Amino acid sequence: MRRIVWSTMAALALAIIAAASPAMAQSKGKIYYMVPTLLDEFQTGSVDAITKFMKDVGYETVTLNADNKTDVQQSQMNDVINLKPKAIVLAAVDFGALAPYIDKARAAGIPVMIFDRQITTTKSDLTSVAGTVEIGQIAADEIEKLLKTKNGAVKGKVLQVLGDPGDPYTLDIQKGFEDKMKAFPDVKIISLPALQWEASNAGTIVADQLVANPDIDLIFVHAAHLAVTAVASLEAKGKKPGDVLLVSSNGAPVGLDLIRKGWEQVEVEQPLYAQAAALAMFADKVIAKQELKPGSYKVLGLDSTLTTEAWGANIKIPGAAISKANIDEPRFWGNMKAPTEPVKPVE
Amino acid sequence: MMSSRRRDVIEFLLNNLVWLLLVAVLVVFSLTVPNYFQIGIFANIIEQSTYVGVIAIGLAICIIAGNMDLSVESVAALTAMVVGILFCSRGVGLGYSFSPEWLVVPISLAIALGVGAVIGALNGWLVVGLKMNAFIATLASYIWVRGLVVALSGGRSAQDLAPSLRVIGIQTVLNIPLTAWVAIACFAGFSFVMAKTPFGRHVTMIGGNPVATFRAGIKVDRLVVITFVLAGAIAGLAGWLLAIRSSGATANLGTGMLFNAFAAVVIGGVSLKGGIGRLPGVYAGVLLLSSIHTAINLMGLPAHYTQMILGGLVLAAVLLDTVKLSIRQRLA
Repeated sequence: MRRIVWSTMAALALAIIAAASPAMAQSKGKIYYMVPTLLDEFQTGSVDAITKFMKDVGYETVTLNADNKTDVQQSQMNDVINLKPKAIVLAAVDFGALAPYIDKARAAGIPVMIFDRQITTTKSDLTSVAGTVEIGQIAADEIEKLLKTKNGAVKGKVLQVLGDPGDPYTLDIQKGFEDKMKAFPDVKIISLPALQWEASNAGTIVADQLVANPDIDLIFVHAAHLAVTAVASLEAKGKKPGDVLLVSSNGAPVGLDLIRKGWEQVEVEQPLYAQAAALAMFADKVIAKQELKPGSYKVLGLDSTLTTEAWGANIKIPGAAISKANIDEPRFWGNMKAPTEPVKPVE
Repeated sequence: MMSSRRRDVIEFLLNNLVWLLLVAVLVVFSLTVPNYFQIGIFANIIEQSTYVGVIAIGLAICIIAGNMDLSVESVAALTAMVVGILFCSRGVGLGYSFSPEWLVVPISLAIALGVGAVIGALNGWLVVGLKMNAFIATLASYIWVRGLVVALSGGRSAQDLAPSLRVIGIQTVLNIPLTAWVAIACFAGFSFVMAKTPFGRHVTMIGGNPVATFRAGIKVDRLVVITFVLAGAIAGLAGWLLAIRSSGATANLGTGMLFNAFAAVVIGGVSLKGGIGRLPGVYAGVLLLSSIHTAINLMGLPAHYTQMILGGLVLAAVLLDTVKLSIRQRLA
């Protein structure tokens, strides 16, 4: 028995040593990507995209997953600062709580690039976003059109299923959405959160609300994986595709599948590939601490605008509304056709 | 001197306190929460109790036996993902099918139970064979099994479960989905096993005093391993039901269910010290939690209230348990 235990431990130790061995490939250096979680498809997709595009411009990417825990990400930042990488790419679990760690990294001479989750409370070296508030606004525009088509005017009942109520990402989408919808007092919005972004919690909310409010016209969920259980609940209540309209955000493959099947009408996409590519395009300049010139840039063919904000250089790439009309365009990351053309650094 | 009839009444009330609490809560919510009092909502409560409820059965059996299994949530997520990968046709699904189509039901169920049982057996071996602390051993499983879910799926989801399986999530009998009937059948079956069979009695004895049970000639180690295998297999069943409900699986499916299951077990009157507890009480605990979740959904209260109420209920349950114990001591 003891032999088995020792053999197991030895094998485990070897595996850990092998995993920790430095990569042999030559590169300009390491960039650490601090991903908030690997439990949703956008984030796992971002790991592949950032790794690929950074490799295109000569950097090796090491990814650390914070499991959606702020304290874990804070510790990871401390560890990575000690490793002195070329740069850190941060997609923060909590926008505010990571600000002091960005300051600490920059004070140690390590540039920090912000991916997807904008931090405006402190300076960083480059932020690449679609804008979470803007996603809510785009969703509001699309929902306005859908309600008008269905009811003849912008009126009706909308069930908004948020993600975890402790996640600023979902609160920003809610803010963008509800601010825009204030213009339509005849639209009643019922907002409920799916704790921990867990899909079956979203299904439960939809099931309850379909009984309590059978006249719901449209369901807006803040992530595509929540739409799957929303549809399961609709199906269980005997609804057919289109009976209750469905809008989702982030552009994950599941959302696109639901559009193809007719259950979902619009998916508001975060341009994952372009957001990741933008960081790679400017990585050399950021690491060399050169000035990033404001202006218009083409990122994977998308018109993007780089501005200088109070928190530093900020490149905004517009999110897109995906519907049946444009769903097959390869630029949508949900179609899982990553660009094969290498990204070129900005001169 | 208390009459035996009065003593019986008090005993009955103490044993079924959680059911009385459930009835009281349902009455209060029906009177105060708009749209609460309707068949559809009660059916939803029963349906929503399915997944946490099934997980809670295995967890309760383990706790009654004097142990703990923290891995059940992750095991449910893993089996949901395995079923999703094998029998979904989109995402990471491989879309395996059979002829005739209905064969997918027993085969997927057997796979789910098997995956759960294997992890349960591993937990049992760590606890009994290597004498590891059950809390630590199953905490490790909780972590690595969830990691395995992410590794298997690459963080992606599986969608479009085989229609023969989906039908179980859609069809209803007496307005209640088949998945919920599976949970009810499980509670009925395991309640019988725990209350009326030598296995159930021996497991309860082990939780109360393993040394005395061993000296009575009962194979304690073997039974403890069986409780872990059961907890794993039952969690596998919960995962199978979750996959059916979700028409597939996501990497974070079932997150948070462990703590709800724990809350239900404690509220249901199972002592964390082992040796005390009845499964019908656990089911009442799960129904109570679902009733509160539903009320909060309908009232549109922020979700934080659910967590605060849940925490308060668990505390109240532990306090009630202490009160029950002192009343019983006075009765004795």
